[in-house]
Amino acid sequence: MSSFTAEPDGTVTARFDVAEIALIAELSTQLTELLANRSDDDPALQRLLPDAYPDDAAASAEFRRFTADGLVERKLANASALLSSIGSATAGHGPANSVATLHLDPSAVQAWLRSIGDLRLTLATRLGIEQDGDEGSPGEPLSDLYDWLGYLQGSLVDALDTPDAGDAA
Amino acid sequence: MPQTIERTGLREKSAFDTPWNTVVWNDPVNLMNYVSYVFRSYFGFSREEADRRMLQVHNNGHAVVATGPREEMERHVEAMHDYGLLATIVRADS
Repeated sequence: MSSFTAEPDGTVTARFDVAEIALIAELSTQLTELLANRSDDDPALQRLLPDAYPDDAAASAEFRRFTADGLVERKLANASALLSSIGSATAGHGPANSVATLHLDPSAVQAWLRSIGDLRLTLATRLGIEQDGDEGSPGEPLSDLYDWLGYLQGSLVDALDTPDAGDAA
Repeated sequence: MPQTIERTGLREKSAFDTPWNTVVWNDPVNLMNYVSYVFRSYFGFSREEADRRMLQVHNNGHAVVATGPREEMERHVEAMHDYGLLATIVRADS
C-alpha cells in the first residue's frame, strides 16, 4: 500500500511495500534504457519528445535539434534521481508487509512527478492508449501497472496540493 | 559580441514578428490534477485560472496557455515536454 505525505518543510514522505518499490525501480531502469537508446522510430520516444510544430516538419526538426538532447538528459536525470531515492529508502522490519519509507526533498519530488509521468506515457504507447476512453487491455499486467502508476502520480499531486504542503512553484 | 545570435539559425527575426501561441493538447494519459499542477507551477497561474485552462484542454481538446515571441514560446513548449504534456507552437493569427 503506497502513500505520499507532504511535510511542512516541503519534503514528501513516501511509503511503499518493498515489492512495489522494486517494481518502480525495475520500470525506471527500463525507461533509462529506452531513453539511452534513443531509437527515433520508437512510438514511446516520439511521445516523450513530441513535434513542436505539427504542420511544419522542418520547424519541428529544428526544434528537436535544439531541445531533444537536453530533454532526454533531464528525463534520464529524473529517472536517476528516482532510483537513487529508492536506493536510500529505509526498509521496515515487519515480518509480512515490509514497508519502505522514502524521504523526498523538493527536487526529488519533481523528479518523481515527471518520471512517473514518463513511465505512464511509455506504457500508454505500448498499450495503444491514444484517445480519451482507450482503456488498454484491462486485466493485463501492463494495464494494471499503468493504472497503478496513475494512482501514484495522482496521489502525489494531491499530497502537494494540500494546504500545508510546501509548493515547489 | 554576438551573443544575441544564439539559436536564430536560418530564421529571419524582426521586432514586428506576429506573436505565437503555446498550445497544450488533450491526451488520455496526463491526469487532470497533474495538468492543473503544471500550469500553476510553471506559468504561475492561480488555481482558478489553472483549472479553467486545464478544463479547456480536457473539454475542447486544447488551450492556449501563453502568447508572445516565438523563442519564448519554444522555451514554454520545451518545458511542457519536460513535464510530459503535449504542447505545440502556432502563429497567434492562424
